[in-house]
Amino acid sequence: MSTDCCLPTEEEEETGRGGAALAASADSSAVIILSSCGSVRFGSGIRTSRPNPSLLFLSMAFITANWNPLGDAFYRKTELYEMFWSLRDGLGDSLVAAAPYGGPIALLREPLRRSTSSRPQLDIYSASGVSITSFPWKSGPVVHLGWSVNDELLCVQEDGTVLIYDLFGTFKRHFSMGQEVVQSQVLEAKVFHSPYGTGVAIVTGSSRFTLATNIEDLKLRRLPEVPGLQGKPSCWVVLTQDRQTKVLVSSGAELYVLDNTSCTAVYPPGLSPQAGSIVHMAVSFSYKYLALFTEAGHLWTGLSNLQERLSEVDIKRTAPPTQMVWCRRPRSQQPSVVLMWDRLLLVVGACNDTIQFPMEERSVLVGELDGVRIIAPCSQELLQEVPLVCQDIFKIASMAPGALLLEAHREYEKSSQKADEYLREIKEQDVLGDAVRQCVEAAAHEYDPDTQKALMRAASFGKCFLTDFSPEQFVVTCRELRVLNAVRDSSVGMPLTHTQFKQMTLQVLIDRLVYRQFYPLTMEVCRYLKIPDYQGVSRVLKHWASCKVQQKDLTDEAIARAVCSKVGDCPGVSYSDIAAKAYECGRPELAIKLLDYEARSGEQVPLLLKMKRSQLALSKAVESGDTDLVYTVVTYLKNEMNRGDFFMTLRNQPVALSLYRQVGSAEPEGVGGPGW
Amino acid sequence: MAAHLSYGRVNLNILREAARKELREFLDKCAGTKAIVWDEYLTGPFGLIAQYSLLKEHEVEKMFTLKGGRLPPADVKNIIFFVRPRLELMDIIAENIFSEDKMHPARDFHILFVPRRSMLCEQRLKEQGVLGSFVNIDEYILDLIPFDGDLLSMEYESAFRECYLENDQTSLYHTAKGLMTLQALYGTIPQIFGKGDCARHVANMMLRMKREFAGIQNQILPVFDTLLLLDRNVDLLTPLATQLTYEGLIDEIYGIHNGYVKLPPEKFAQKKQGEGSKDLPTEPKKLQLNSAEELYAEIRDKNFNAVGAALSKKAKIISAAFEERHNAKTVGEIKQFVSQLPHMQAARSSLANHTSIAELVKDITTSEAFFDNLTVEQEFMTGVDTDKVNTYIEDSIAQKDPLIKILRLVCMQSVCNNGLKQKVLDYYKREILQTYGYEHILTLSNLEKAGLLKPQTASRNNYPTIRKTLKLWMEDANEQNPNDISYVYSGYAPLSIRLTQVLARPGWRSIEEVLKMLPGPHFEERQQLPSGLHKKRQQGENRTTLVFFLGGVTYAEIAALRFLSQMEDSGMEYIIATTKLINGTNWMKSLMDRPQSQTS
Repeated sequence: MSTDCCLPTEEEEETGRGGAALAASADSSAVIILSSCGSVRFGSGIRTSRPNPSLLFLSMAFITANWNPLGDAFYRKTELYEMFWSLRDGLGDSLVAAAPYGGPIALLREPLRRSTSSRPQLDIYSASGVSITSFPWKSGPVVHLGWSVNDELLCVQEDGTVLIYDLFGTFKRHFSMGQEVVQSQVLEAKVFHSPYGTGVAIVTGSSRFTLATNIEDLKLRRLPEVPGLQGKPSCWVVLTQDRQTKVLVSSGAELYVLDNTSCTAVYPPGLSPQAGSIVHMAVSFSYKYLALFTEAGHLWTGLSNLQERLSEVDIKRTAPPTQMVWCRRPRSQQPSVVLMWDRLLLVVGACNDTIQFPMEERSVLVGELDGVRIIAPCSQELLQEVPLVCQDIFKIASMAPGALLLEAHREYEKSSQKADEYLREIKEQDVLGDAVRQCVEAAAHEYDPDTQKALMRAASFGKCFLTDFSPEQFVVTCRELRVLNAVRDSSVGMPLTHTQFKQMTLQVLIDRLVYRQFYPLTMEVCRYLKIPDYQGVSRVLKHWASCKVQQKDLTDEAIARAVCSKVGDCPGVSYSDIAAKAYECGRPELAIKLLDYEARSGEQVPLLLKMKRSQLALSKAVESGDTDLVYTVVTYLKNEMNRGDFFMTLRNQPVALSLYRQVGSAEPEGVGGPGW
Repeated sequence: MAAHLSYGRVNLNILREAARKELREFLDKCAGTKAIVWDEYLTGPFGLIAQYSLLKEHEVEKMFTLKGGRLPPADVKNIIFFVRPRLELMDIIAENIFSEDKMHPARDFHILFVPRRSMLCEQRLKEQGVLGSFVNIDEYILDLIPFDGDLLSMEYESAFRECYLENDQTSLYHTAKGLMTLQALYGTIPQIFGKGDCARHVANMMLRMKREFAGIQNQILPVFDTLLLLDRNVDLLTPLATQLTYEGLIDEIYGIHNGYVKLPPEKFAQKKQGEGSKDLPTEPKKLQLNSAEELYAEIRDKNFNAVGAALSKKAKIISAAFEERHNAKTVGEIKQFVSQLPHMQAARSSLANHTSIAELVKDITTSEAFFDNLTVEQEFMTGVDTDKVNTYIEDSIAQKDPLIKILRLVCMQSVCNNGLKQKVLDYYKREILQTYGYEHILTLSNLEKAGLLKPQTASRNNYPTIRKTLKLWMEDANEQNPNDISYVYSGYAPLSIRLTQVLARPGWRSIEEVLKMLPGPHFEERQQLPSGLHKKRQQGENRTTLVFFLGGVTYAEIAALRFLSQMEDSGMEYIIATTKLINGTNWMKSLMDRPQSQTS
């Protein structure tokens, strides 16, 4: 904060205080910030003609109201949704799995109930709590739920069977974590994401760990025994390092790293001897950082390769937390660990600073790339470190270029000449370009559309005074924000932050939207972002059509018509793929109707052969003019049909017949020759 | 090396470069030293795409011809077979591989199918049990090979036979694919015209393939305005007639293969001074004929009767240019003269070559036999006595002249009479079979199937109508300074070229009646261009038409099209593409059964 910021005029000072009072009433923690900032500001000298940053403070008070200082950074907790669901018993005694990147939430009540009379219910909700599906759980007791990277639900049963369901509760397949598990039972399981895909790790009743690093390509690895471990370990995590998957397990006072072949005892560097044994641990989203919680209430943080310590904080609470999650963001200033107890949420930074939030109900923490989502029975919040650029702009009495530009624009809207003063101030320092960039960047990080708009308008206003400023970033951000706001809408329920969006890429977002069958929205997104057809609209239509052909309540005719009218000549949509899907669903007639629209005969023919429509396949092959394709069909027919039928078929296709005669004449006599 | 390809209206070098690039990519796929085993037929066309130097740059150390038995030894890492997708070739390859394995440590085998891989061939290799020996099985899509600045050919020898006799439309598929490649490089061709069943088929396939590629819109400004697809069987007459242009005659007499002609060496040996006639070269003289040679470009399309004059004029210019050295006084003038010397010397040797060729050709054209033959041809074309047995043909058979000559004349008579009377036909057939042997009954049957030789049906002879409407016979053809395409046959204007000419102006609508008489449908298709690619035509800018002859084209027809391109008021330039460059002789051969036994 610059010390040369000036004293406000009387009038403004009043409004400024009014703002402070307002903020104070909004959140008690905000008062601290206000008072500390205030002291600096009021203590500085008077220079009347300079623009006045205190006004920023007035309007931005609302934005900084939920900011909490942690070290030299700020943390904010933003409400994402009021949940649509109505949970009768809260989240207690349920298994909850929520996928990162604003993924779906799965909820299984009383997972271990064994009575057959009342089965537990498995519910799948969108992140905003809109029910996607709900069905009674008929299989065995479930130990753990988790989501794969493809938004598939993995249910790990006590007997080591892993059942895979899609987002809509359709059973896909299952696999087992090994035969020996059936007797020893799964005590605990974890679903993790590795560079290879989604993995599952379990610990069995005989205290052995089994890993599958990629469920798509299942290879079970039984890890070596942990010395002295009996029953359930006090805590363990899966680490992915150097393309290797390891398990870090705490057994008694010892800490072991288990890899494929060995079990090595490790010692976190700098962990104080009085800390005691480790009772809870957490790895960061990127698997780079590790947090250990000890018996004596010490929180150790460091690199997950256990080479370096970041900090050790005495929390002064010995009860192990119910959940512990890292909260950081790319280029984090002040990474922290979030610990949750029944009534308390504690954010502990590496600088020993803490923030406390009271908790009313049992909640679930979901670690994200740039924060932590807190899912409570009736609301969902995002806890994250305030990005630096937002701090620069909104921090009380900030003199950052972006902050001044925002203020200038606000004055301009009020038709006040002060806009000019602010603008001059920025231009004098020759930082208008930076100011615009700051505003645009900050807008991307804001969740509230009004704030986004205010920042974007300011950026656009500032852009007018620049001659050769590339509008690229501005335009791209505008578009992306519109898309993000659309998918954040509670009816869609994907609370993606801009950072997450960038990380997951647009392609993946489109895939996920399509997967959730938000077809119209996805089409709009593709068109709005002007994605080339074959990457955007075509993919959506293809998925839509494959989904459409599965609708049992419509006639073949109606579906074919609907598909054709929508898909039309859309490039890159393969009718044969759709037809293949229809055929899979047991609708060969529909498949044939759809195949008629396929332009590429090379694609039509194999499916027709598969459907045993050999006559049609032959005539399509002849139509295509590709003689090789005709030969393919002829060879196939020769093997499939009896002689008589084969020749009768050929009789009707003179082109095929003459081709066959040529092959026949070129073939050595007697070896499958046509025999004339 | 291939500069002459880029002089024309359309830079065909782009196509050649694209083909070369693909070849290089394939060669680089096989790391290490290589030996190429050639399907002999492919070496000619490949020579037009890539010289040995290019192959050498990519570590090709040895080249062999594909034949049975054991491969010659070569210390290389890779053996690459360059083959057409033919079953008989697969058997040879299998034989090669079987005898190979025992004697050498592992060498990598690759197959490159030209122009397209075929399931059937792979199946055959599998049956032979050698499919697994190949590291790479690839295809090298070489459909249209640039021959000259305005000429593309697929060199697909059997195209006509396959299409019209065997009902095998593979060549048409390749044609359509080739045209798609061409469009990918030179932009979508907005208008397609066509005449004939095969043309219709190719156009259908093109439109279908375009739909398949839908979405990947071609953003190249179209170079061609129109595509004209012509079936060879629309105009069967033209290839039967003896070509009378310089290039056409060279082809008729000596045969031009892939741009090269082999000539008897005697005439050329004498040119060398001081060596005397002691060691006459026995090897035939091989000459490359294309528009890179200035003089040849000038005279190739002239009627042979005008070639002599052109050559003597050229001789005068060259000697005048050499005389200039006497006028060169100052050092600067001499320097300028010397700088022109290489060019002048090249021109002089080129003049010498062509004078020799012209002499060779003239020996034949002035012979009585040639004259008699031509007279009969022209009688047929003008419709004189086409319904009777021709005495000249009768005599020729009696003298056992080459069968192909007889067949050409008989077919010509049949075509010009819209079929022969049954009595006449039977007479000819009997004469031929009794003189040349009964095995030729298959050939005659082939000719009948192809429509070249047929009995007259009830309908009346419509050839005179076609001839009159399209002005196929011009009495006063000017051979020296032509004003009409009829000069290429000294009177007969090729039907195919007349169709092309009428299409450009005034349009086919004016000759609907005639078009109906010719076999196969005629049609017009339009291909939608992406917006923004519509050409804005400058005043006086010529339109470009690609004329594709399905089943072959003769040099005389090419000459006629070039003549049309050069005509000042035609407003149209033509690029010619075909499945194969033909003349009456090799065309007949391709239609004969078991052609190998008939070659002498």
